Amino acid sequence: MNDAIASGRLMARLVDLKTIGYRLAAALAICLVLAAASDVFLTTNNLLNVLRQASLLFLLASGLTLVILTAGLDLSVGANIGMSACIAASVIKLTGSAMLGAATGVGVGLAIGLLNGVLVALMRMPPFIATYGMLWVVHGVTYWFMAGTTIYGFPAAFRALGSGYFLGLPIPVYLMFVFLALGSFFAQRTTYGQEIYAIGANREAARLSGVPIAKRLILVYAVSGAMAGLASLVFLARMNSAEGDIGEAFTLPAIAAALIGGTSLFGGVGTVSGTLVGALILTLVLNGMNLLTIDASWQPLVTGVIVLLAVFFDALTRKGGDGRQ
Amino acid sequence: MSENSIATPPGTTSTFSAELRRVPGVAWILGLLVLVFALASRDFLSAPNLLNIGLQSVILLILALPMTMIIMTEGVDISMGAVLTLASVVLAWVLAHDGSLPLALAAALVTGLAFGVGNGMLVALLKMPPFVVTLGTMGVAQGLALLATDGQSIVVSNDSLQAVYAGSFMGIPQTLLIGAVVYALSHWLLYQTRFGTYVFALGGNPDALGLAGIRANYYLIAVYAFGGLMAGLAALILTSRMSSGHPTAAIGMEFDAIAAVVVGGTSFEHGNGWLFGTLLGVLAVGALRNGLNLLTVASSVQVSCIGLLVIVALLIDGFKGKK
Amino acid sequence: MKMKTLASLITIALLSPLAHADGEKIAVFTKNLTNPLFAEIRAGADNAAKQMNATTQHYVPTKPDSIPEQMSAIEDVVVKKPDAIVFIPVDSKAMVAGVNKINAANIPVVNINDRAAGGKFVSFVGVNDYDLGLETARFLLKNLGGKGNVVIIEGVKGASTNQDRIRGFKKALEENPNVKLLASQTGNYQRNQALSVMENLMQSFPQIDGVLAANDAMATGVIEALAAANRKALVIGVNGTGIDEIKQGKLLATGDYKGFQQGCLGTMAAIRHLRKLPVPAELMFPPNLITQANVQSFLVPKDKMVCPKWEDVVKK
Repeated sequence: MNDAIASGRLMARLVDLKTIGYRLAAALAICLVLAAASDVFLTTNNLLNVLRQASLLFLLASGLTLVILTAGLDLSVGANIGMSACIAASVIKLTGSAMLGAATGVGVGLAIGLLNGVLVALMRMPPFIATYGMLWVVHGVTYWFMAGTTIYGFPAAFRALGSGYFLGLPIPVYLMFVFLALGSFFAQRTTYGQEIYAIGANREAARLSGVPIAKRLILVYAVSGAMAGLASLVFLARMNSAEGDIGEAFTLPAIAAALIGGTSLFGGVGTVSGTLVGALILTLVLNGMNLLTIDASWQPLVTGVIVLLAVFFDALTRKGGDGRQ
Repeated sequence: MSENSIATPPGTTSTFSAELRRVPGVAWILGLLVLVFALASRDFLSAPNLLNIGLQSVILLILALPMTMIIMTEGVDISMGAVLTLASVVLAWVLAHDGSLPLALAAALVTGLAFGVGNGMLVALLKMPPFVVTLGTMGVAQGLALLATDGQSIVVSNDSLQAVYAGSFMGIPQTLLIGAVVYALSHWLLYQTRFGTYVFALGGNPDALGLAGIRANYYLIAVYAFGGLMAGLAALILTSRMSSGHPTAAIGMEFDAIAAVVVGGTSFEHGNGWLFGTLLGVLAVGALRNGLNLLTVASSVQVSCIGLLVIVALLIDGFKGKK
Repeated sequence: MKMKTLASLITIALLSPLAHADGEKIAVFTKNLTNPLFAEIRAGADNAAKQMNATTQHYVPTKPDSIPEQMSAIEDVVVKKPDAIVFIPVDSKAMVAGVNKINAANIPVVNINDRAAGGKFVSFVGVNDYDLGLETARFLLKNLGGKGNVVIIEGVKGASTNQDRIRGFKKALEENPNVKLLASQTGNYQRNQALSVMENLMQSFPQIDGVLAANDAMATGVIEALAAANRKALVIGVNGTGIDEIKQGKLLATGDYKGFQQGCLGTMAAIRHLRKLPVPAELMFPPNLITQANVQSFLVPKDKMVCPKWEDVVKK
């Protein structure tokens, strides 16, 4: 049984490499077009901008990728960012301690994630709808907690997390690469990771080969929640202010980043590095539209078309030797 | 069912008594909500208020009925709210450019149908995951609505349009009649036709039933097409209600519809669907929102209550499932 | 603490139909739970009602700015028949149908903040967005010495507040032909979107001397972007919510939108109408700026603010 899983994994890894290759090529093509269309695109500052804007999206989408690998979904990540940021902000304001605030932010995110995990794994609720219910609950509590106020002005040490530089690179970009390495290692090189892929590929087979399904499911939702908490800190540090609704705009782009990166909603297929490329593609396009001063009304349309193109492309390349439906 | 050549799928055998056995989950919730609100507010059970709940629920019902069928095929359509919005903008645009109401309605229906067929083809023929497909088409529909209007409302001053939402036919409000007709149509489609048989079968296990083929694809496309068409029809009521088309009016409404479907007891797995449950689910959402408004519960608490409704409904069904 | 408040909220909610308050019941409609402006307006309405011995009930869409939700709330409120309504339409055109329903139920309604495109109102209380945009932009251009490069960060495209403010900005630019408008991009009234837009604009334009943002949330986003890139530009916003940034010298000026006073005067107008006291058909606040010179008088926290006297604001 384990042999079967292992050889399946090898095949999947080859497919993954190919899909990431295509996507990197697509990202490069977008870069070439933008470099031709705008003379400021290839400046160091602008490329750093793209990386910094992509890093926040990636932090959020990387945790989500693990969830989607189990054939699940977490619609509450945006609401999670809002609540984690607001509570972290008020803790920083009350105690003056950035560390305590940061710990609270990740803790709140983790708690929401755990709750999602319990609903999905132990109560057997469909992930889509359980996390949608959670979205409303979390929003309500956040709105009530904030009562329409804004919390702003944080210590410089904390702000560095979002807007600081180290050796010429923005700090969030380091976070992005750290979590790319951690996430890839976790997903590809540990037993946990293998089990997560196995759950998504075929839950019944995974159960039969002894994978503790419920524990692993709770784990991925908890990780996704904690990553949302972490993303909320980066966002908070960059914005220097917290409001009740700040996370809402991130949910669908984060899901889109994972999907553009080649992660399949059917589960079992996808990589954290693919999600990074997905986040880069989305960010590049939005950056390019801003540089070329294209009306923002085009954004939903363009995003939608990119999602469709990415999946359409997958559907075409998948024909023939497809193992997973 | 006479011309049904395929083994009768599990759902269609459900008789009235079998349906009754499924009642508790959502019916408990609806009953409890009605009881609490009736005790807490004198206005809740008044005729005008009950009419309000009915009228306010019709748009959601028109989306939730086809959504039930889509979910039964183990799919989902998250573009519905955006398609409804775009169709509403199209309808308002045609009327604002001196088109007649039938022409405008036709344009809205065609818009919805086009998106529905497009969704269905991508899902059925290319085997793409429904969530991703409709996430993409959601962006397209929303983008088109924004671009067509430049972000502004298109105001319509057309008496026959206004009469749709406000008017009544033989003493019955037209909006309720439209809702009833769509319910009857959906019921007929799902329980009396070959289309319905396939819907049940597609969700159950298409391969085992030997359904994986051109015909199954054809019916899968039809399910999404029906969803798009109904979004176009709902645009008529939405536009009439606002006397205008607005590029973000119904964005996100598909999630409310999905919530109502799930509260109503349709499950995301195994093709278990139940139209009457969806009706109750829609009414539960409507009663909850209306009752909380009547009691002037703080809006932030209202937000949480909607999430709790969804989670509690799933919990009840979960516990029932275990027994 | 939270649970206690939650429990008491629910108790109050459950008891409210039984407990008859003395004064008039005023239903107050605002756009969302997240924008500080509407929190100020609600606080103003509550304060005015308390002063005049009336009560308020708030109706806010659970999805920000949702047209169908505000429409449903109107239908629900018409059943409850409050004595009067203080109303901000989530969309000035699409909510006219809703205003017509209030009119048909013969409930007097005062329009505040965002002017509805139709329907019958007792009064309109608000600030002229065009004048406010014009005055704020003029102040910026004067401080730039009538020359230099500027960018505009627009709000939500369809919103009438945004259109009027941008018209005001552009009028001021016409008056200063030596100022060059480099770009006008939307930040959708959102801080984070404005921040990203500004980051990208700074790449395209090496020299930006001034930024005109259509609200303060976006202005503060712009300020963060400038600080992160170590660049300097004069920034103005509108709404009067960026008080601290003005105190710290980061924001040059903001057009005072007087949210609290709008809530106060709107509610007072509704109660006065019920008490058969005279109410003007329109009550416009003059376009005032908050700058470093006068910021001290705006540092009162929201829960300590007190409504002005009607007679002090409304002069014959």
